[in-house]
Amino acid sequence: MKARKVKALLLAAVMVMSTALMGCGGSEGQENGTDNQETAEEDAGKEETAKGDASEGEEEGDVVEVSYWALSTQQDYYEPVVEAFHEENKNIKVNISYYDTDGMKDACKVAASSDTLPNMWFNFGGSLGGFYVDNGLTYNLNDYAEANGWSEHFNENALALCTYDGVISGYPNGYSILGVFYRKDLFEQCGVEVPATFEEFEEVCDTLKANGITPMYAGGLNGWHVMRYVELLIEHYAGADAHDQMNTFDKSYDDENVTKAFEKYKEWVDKGYFPDGFVTMDANDTLMPLSTGECAMTMEGQWQDSNIVKNGLDMDQYGAFAFPSGGSNRLSSFADMTQFNAKNTEEELDACVTFLDYYFSHVLDYTDSYGLPMPTLDSPMPEGQPNVGNLIKLGQENGTFTITDQAFPTEVADVLFNCQDAIANGEMEPAQAGAEIQAAIEAYNNK
Amino acid sequence: MEGKTKKVCKKIILYMLLIALAILWIVPMFTLLATAVKSKADFYTGVSLFEFPENPAWGNFVNAFKKGKLFMYMKNDLIVSGLKVPLGIFIEALAAFALTRLKMRHRTGVFVFFLVGMMLPLQTALVPINVIYSKLGLLNTYFGLFYVYIGFGISFGILILRGFFRGIPREMDEAAYIDGCSKWQLFYRIILPVAKPAVATLVITDFLATWNEYLLGSVIINDNTMKTVPVGLMTFVGEHGTDYGYLCAGVLISLIPVLTVYLIFQRYFVEGMAGAVKM
Amino acid sequence: MNTKKKSGEKTDKAVWLFLLPAGIIYLSVIVVPVFYSFFISLFKWNGIGEKVFVGLENYMKLIKGDKVFYTAVRNNLIWIVLTIFVTMTVSLGFALILNKSFKGRTFFRGFFYFPCVIAPIAVAIIWRWIYNPTFGFINDFFEAIGSEFSQTWISDAKVSLYAVFAASLWQAIGQPMLLFLAGLQGISADILEAATIDGANGAKKFFFVTVPLLKETFVIVIATLIIAAMKVFDVVQGLTGGGPGDATQMLSTYMYSQVFQYNNVGYGTAIACVMVLMMMLVIIPYISITAKED
Repeated sequence: MKARKVKALLLAAVMVMSTALMGCGGSEGQENGTDNQETAEEDAGKEETAKGDASEGEEEGDVVEVSYWALSTQQDYYEPVVEAFHEENKNIKVNISYYDTDGMKDACKVAASSDTLPNMWFNFGGSLGGFYVDNGLTYNLNDYAEANGWSEHFNENALALCTYDGVISGYPNGYSILGVFYRKDLFEQCGVEVPATFEEFEEVCDTLKANGITPMYAGGLNGWHVMRYVELLIEHYAGADAHDQMNTFDKSYDDENVTKAFEKYKEWVDKGYFPDGFVTMDANDTLMPLSTGECAMTMEGQWQDSNIVKNGLDMDQYGAFAFPSGGSNRLSSFADMTQFNAKNTEEELDACVTFLDYYFSHVLDYTDSYGLPMPTLDSPMPEGQPNVGNLIKLGQENGTFTITDQAFPTEVADVLFNCQDAIANGEMEPAQAGAEIQAAIEAYNNK
Repeated sequence: MEGKTKKVCKKIILYMLLIALAILWIVPMFTLLATAVKSKADFYTGVSLFEFPENPAWGNFVNAFKKGKLFMYMKNDLIVSGLKVPLGIFIEALAAFALTRLKMRHRTGVFVFFLVGMMLPLQTALVPINVIYSKLGLLNTYFGLFYVYIGFGISFGILILRGFFRGIPREMDEAAYIDGCSKWQLFYRIILPVAKPAVATLVITDFLATWNEYLLGSVIINDNTMKTVPVGLMTFVGEHGTDYGYLCAGVLISLIPVLTVYLIFQRYFVEGMAGAVKM
Repeated sequence: MNTKKKSGEKTDKAVWLFLLPAGIIYLSVIVVPVFYSFFISLFKWNGIGEKVFVGLENYMKLIKGDKVFYTAVRNNLIWIVLTIFVTMTVSLGFALILNKSFKGRTFFRGFFYFPCVIAPIAVAIIWRWIYNPTFGFINDFFEAIGSEFSQTWISDAKVSLYAVFAASLWQAIGQPMLLFLAGLQGISADILEAATIDGANGAKKFFFVTVPLLKETFVIVIATLIIAAMKVFDVVQGLTGGGPGDATQMLSTYMYSQVFQYNNVGYGTAIACVMVLMMMLVIIPYISITAKED
């Protein structure tokens, strides 16, 4: 008797619960209406979306809906432009989803593994973006670029950084060139000038240090900020050609010039050219030590100007120059791009590019702090940000090389970063670093 | 008389200890608050990070709320957490009751099986969940998010409730059965009420865990208007610089619901509750 | 009533009904990823392209020659020991103090619980500032009291693991403290009073009365702490990213790098499986021993 009663009760409980579950599923569906369905469908697979669009098109007059994953830092720039774009282009709907830098990388990897990538997504150039190209996930834009005259439209270097083995695989979003940002007034105060040679650079550092100023800020938490100095030291000792060959893995890193570069790096660390404990400092914090006068220089790209503006600092205090590594004093550079899903239909691709074209030609109307110069040839320079044009000019005159963490696959770059940390902390001899990096390169090649 | 002095001494020592610990504890909390009310200029003019600014920028809170769309994220999170916590706990309590109060074989084995969910690193679960969800059309639905949250919460809930249920004397069951209770009544009328402190603990920790969950939230939901608080807060973390004032203000605002839940449920940790467990 | 005794070994049929809802959701959410993970760990796979079956090779590679893996295992073991001895002791201490009745008890409970509700991203930022060698709070403090004890803290490979642990401690106390507090509610004041009448002093009372009565709470706390210590990720990733070098590399951070950054999905997933196995090795015997009915 009793057992039956219990069973009945439990059954009732389970049923209540499952209806509750169904119920909230149902109510969600209702609440978010068609929106939900559409996004889910879109993410589920491109073919389905295409079908959906086709049938929808007949009813609503050909609205192409595309999804875009963009960086959350650019949300403020995107939002007004998207609104205006939808006003002008009733037949295209762009759904942007925003991610932070690391969240973006993870979300794209997960989506790539489970076949749920959006129509287009932001990506970094070099090895990060290359991974998606190598695995056939990105749209081959060669025909499209030719038909639409991209070579006359985009900055040559920016387009080259989006090209893998001759295949244009992304829409250039930004083209960053890195120089030494310095505090003009601190230089003046210490009676030093912008150095023209490597020796002069070291003298400047000595003088700054003697005046109680840490010459250079470095945020080693993620490795890549310190790398910006190390790669220039390698460029200095090995020269441009050898450096390029090393970064394409055509020449061994196990090289005396690499050792010399790391020895110099160690010397700088020991002399206190970088702040104490820099190996775990945040590379995002470059502005603070510079504005307080604790450090005089940092290695940044043109975006630094917009950071200076956005944070209400005095632009007149800041200048930028090419690190005097010798030769033509090349600068490191990298590209950001938007990649397109290989499964896009032609209409979808067209909608994507139409939106990006619109965005890049209108974004400056909506903001005065846009960080990156447009990757287009005739791009207007953002006002009140003198170093942007300055660095672009330097890049064209001196030449550029691909920044090491985009040239390297991440696992090799991480070995370089570990060497930087270990040498700074005195746990590794500078002479060992080259061999370690080369071993990682070989392990990667044999993968 | 002597006893009284001793008691007062003890009290003084207790308070001194608490205050010393509180000072140690307060530095990071203070930093969080001070950062939340710093204007951008304060960061760059050498105001120490550990100082309260002279002119607190209360506007950071307004900005975080408006510009950061915190209201929307909090609403979304409340929907998910508000559904997940009570339902999850009910399901977990049913299972914990079976594991502790009913006769069953391999009880420990079943329990350990339920614990694996806690051990599994979330990162490796992302791809299979994403694949299944995209097939079922559950991406970008609150139901989808809510369902995985329940799934991942089961282990912890069962662990806690099982422990507390075990602490309830068996004699109570016997007495209940003699009084004519069914198993369901034993569960619902006796065990659950006696385990109030455990349930309260679970409500607090479970709500917190759900509220702050980032990884699953960021993968399952990519519609901006449906994102949850931790995903939304990441908006302030930049590629080349972080909006510390906004971020910390946002973090503080987003704590309000968690603290409210805590305040409501912490009152179950009062002495005297124990009386109910007396044998 | 006596019929119940007869079915001694048999499973009560109602068990299935009570377990059903949890079972269904658990099977669909957890069990699939577990099998999937083990399956993937037997392959060489970059996450997108073709999977190449390699059997147990990923595991062999880990065990035979991966220095970073051993560093991570060592760090995780240190972390476990630290959580058991430090986190658990401190949180139990807090709970005992905060279980006494005094004015402001509710406030202090909330106050010490508070850090654990703060989002990990903010915790990492704040502690990185506190540890900053030049403008950080700790070194400033030592300077102010005229001590030469200044360190580079999280940047020093020898100190960093402990420094990160100290930061995590601030946040990690809340939950076990709450669990202990809840557990303490189950101890009747009468029992303690009885013990006092019997002449037990403070320490004796604690070890012979309170601790045994908290047995079930200890099981919960120890199990949660060990699992959390094996999986520790946010605070390490946020404060040091596993660095300097590999000084604070954890199994979870290493797995994350392999899966999400190096595209060695099979290899990284093997690390995850090893993590789960290691946890089971500790948890299963522990649970089995404590589960014995007394």
